[in-house]
Amino acid sequence: MEVWGALIGPLGFATKSLRRRGFHSYLAFLGLTLTVATTTFLLLLGQDLATRLGDDSSMRSTFGISWLIFAYLVLALGLIGIVGLLSTSYLVSSMISQRMRDIGVIKAAGALPRRLLSYVTFEALLVIVSSCLVGALSALLAYTSWSWPSISLFKQVGPIANAGATILIVVPMISFLLAYMVASVRVRRIVGSSSVNAISKQLANLDLKSLGKPLRIGRFGSTFNLATRNVSRDRGFNKTLLSMGVCICLSMIVLSGALVSADTSASYVVRAMPPHVLIVANSNIYNQYVSLATSFSRIAPLPPIDYGNESYIISPQNASAFRAIPGVQTVDTRLITMSSITGYVKAHFASNQDTGENINTQIIPEVDTGSINALIVGINATSAIGDWYTSDGFLQSSDAHYTMIAGDSLVGNIVQTPFNLSQVSALGYRYDVKSALVDPLNAGRVLYTPVETLQKSLGLNGFNVLLLKVNSDPTVLSAVSQLANSFGLAVGSQDPILNSNLTFLNGIWSHIFLVPIITLALTCGILLSYLATNFSRRFNDYVILKVLGANAWYRLSLLTWEAWGVLAISMLIAIPLAWGISIFFLVPDPNLSLGDLELSTLVSLSALSVVSLASATIYSRRLGLTTVKDLTP
Amino acid sequence: MASTDEEIEVRAPGLAVDFLDVSKEYIVNGKPIKALSSITLNVKEGEVAAIVGPSGAGKTTVLNIIAGLEKPSQGEARVLGLDVNASNEHSLSAFRSANIGFIFQSYNLVSTLTAEENVELMMELAGWSDSGRNEKLTEELISMVGLTDRAKHLPAQLSGGEQQRVAIARAIANDPPLILADEPTGNLDQKTGLEIVKLLARLKGEKGKTLVVTTHDDRIVEMADVIFHLENGSLGSIDRPARVRN
Repeated sequence: MEVWGALIGPLGFATKSLRRRGFHSYLAFLGLTLTVATTTFLLLLGQDLATRLGDDSSMRSTFGISWLIFAYLVLALGLIGIVGLLSTSYLVSSMISQRMRDIGVIKAAGALPRRLLSYVTFEALLVIVSSCLVGALSALLAYTSWSWPSISLFKQVGPIANAGATILIVVPMISFLLAYMVASVRVRRIVGSSSVNAISKQLANLDLKSLGKPLRIGRFGSTFNLATRNVSRDRGFNKTLLSMGVCICLSMIVLSGALVSADTSASYVVRAMPPHVLIVANSNIYNQYVSLATSFSRIAPLPPIDYGNESYIISPQNASAFRAIPGVQTVDTRLITMSSITGYVKAHFASNQDTGENINTQIIPEVDTGSINALIVGINATSAIGDWYTSDGFLQSSDAHYTMIAGDSLVGNIVQTPFNLSQVSALGYRYDVKSALVDPLNAGRVLYTPVETLQKSLGLNGFNVLLLKVNSDPTVLSAVSQLANSFGLAVGSQDPILNSNLTFLNGIWSHIFLVPIITLALTCGILLSYLATNFSRRFNDYVILKVLGANAWYRLSLLTWEAWGVLAISMLIAIPLAWGISIFFLVPDPNLSLGDLELSTLVSLSALSVVSLASATIYSRRLGLTTVKDLTP
Repeated sequence: MASTDEEIEVRAPGLAVDFLDVSKEYIVNGKPIKALSSITLNVKEGEVAAIVGPSGAGKTTVLNIIAGLEKPSQGEARVLGLDVNASNEHSLSAFRSANIGFIFQSYNLVSTLTAEENVELMMELAGWSDSGRNEKLTEELISMVGLTDRAKHLPAQLSGGEQQRVAIARAIANDPPLILADEPTGNLDQKTGLEIVKLLARLKGEKGKTLVVTTHDDRIVEMADVIFHLENGSLGSIDRPARVRN
């Protein structure tokens, strides 16, 4: 200690000052470290999830759903970055504000502004550098100790990716630069202002515009009135409200966005594979269809099968017989086959007239976009069971015979956008691609075309799969089974397949939900820092109230109003904004569940309220231990 | 006296403060430090009591025990009939807000409230919920201390003397029978100090309050009906000026 005590200059000043300010230095260091650590860890976690998801998407899930999850992760990571930067900026600003009086005193004592600037900035730098280093190390430790093998749905369990290493360096670096900039600007401003203002800390922190209104006892009582004055007369109140509002809003978007995205992705699956549907087919085709339908959630090799085998074909008459069973609402007659397909972008004219240059039309020749094995489903547009999420609608009876709807996993490689230029060659014919849909069948590598067209191509007159939409009456199944047995066909419910796919999807989201939960924890940390800073700053006022006779309940009530009031106003701004963004901008064709939005609001409100109440209770208890001797002049 | 839900009607007639063999010990760094040792003193209602002595003599500790902010380690302390030792934190707070007015050397006004709000706050702490009456009374008190034109200023915008005048108005805002003042002129110059002394004299003369004042200021000592000399935590002597004895 003597070694430090003997030092002079910025380093000696900074170390002595930080050591002697004890609790406040520790609080500033802790707040900043937690912010850097949490932001870095969240970004590492997010990019890791996104990378693993990207690697895995070729095997399971579908492109559309993976894209939705990926888009959510990218958005969440962006918002987390903003929250982290806001928090860093706020914490550093608060830290420097606490030094305002000391800076004023040293300046008034005759210190040269340049020297003063270097002393105080150096002190801030010590906290910032140590926080960024410890924060980055903590994030790395948390990330590497994360139990990745437990995430069985991801096939790749490996070391930190390159992107992770970049995040590990860049996030603390940006935090450091931002913190340094904020500290420099704040210190320069204080050094540049009048010493008298800086010394009179109380006056410098108070907003004088709202003075003069009588202290009326309103509906919420005396403590509410007093809390309102305390908070609203804080000069930094608007800035605090904005920072808190933005942080809460962004964390709520991350949270409600996860809920909306999870429900929407599940709704895409349910829409493609609705419940209360029976699959009727020859047992070989039945097993194959089940494998195709569960390939969304399971890696299992598909055995080769001759889809067009005569023994698998169900005649139109037999199919019609199922319609006659009471309780059968719709019979979706399908002919499925697996075939190699080739994608094309049609030859077309392209001009640069949109750019305002001279019209210079040119012909772009046809482009081959590659080949892949895909499931082709011939379907009757009018009796299709399924309400897929599509880009431009499903097949219509008015569509041309050689029209196809592409599964989402074919989009972007075999099938290019715009769809009106995209064609697919299959079974010796060219089909125009009309639209794309999200479909778990064969993990999205599927094409739908009118069944008559496919029958013609394969030279078959019939179907090999029937999907029956039935009511919930259990007797329907036995009636259908009876008829199917008489035709030598197997029957099974589609519900277990749907459940298996939904369980898989929930598994992915349950891991991704870690991101919004930790984001909420980060926001709670920011709120805690704000409350700790403000309670500490006004502590003398609270002690005065205690001395004057304010009882424990009055003190707790005052602190609670102050803490919860700021939160309530911030949430009033944040909630509608977050809801609006989550509903209208986050995902296409969202599955709107009021329960999701209520849940995200309730979770955020509860977590933040707990932080507010806990802070108020802790400070109230601390206040209970004070005596009149703790009053400072 | 203002009534509260916990009003204590066990007052010893005529005595505002009654200390019997009161001692107070603090533990500092594990070692006991004696702040007061077997003090017996009493202050009658309507009297001005001055507690004098060098710094560290225990003056503020006496004041804190009277206010119920601290409890004696030994002995019996009764204030307006309330046994300080036997009361819990909640009832002491209620007692303080209804019966005691405070004036500090460092003013100790709530920094976020204006002069008039600081005064009105005391009425709210005492449970007076008629805001119209509170405002009117606040106006009168602010006028009494001569700060009408500074009523809507924050403490940081007021001079030391002005802040102390607000503190006096606040001390009597809830109409307490007992006013405690801890070196009220200690931070003020001669002239401003005199204004405060005059105000304190008015509290006694016009309002009939009991005042217990710790002070080094001779002008306050001259005004006192009884003077307690403290030295090293012990009561050295008790003086009653001739005008009082006569």
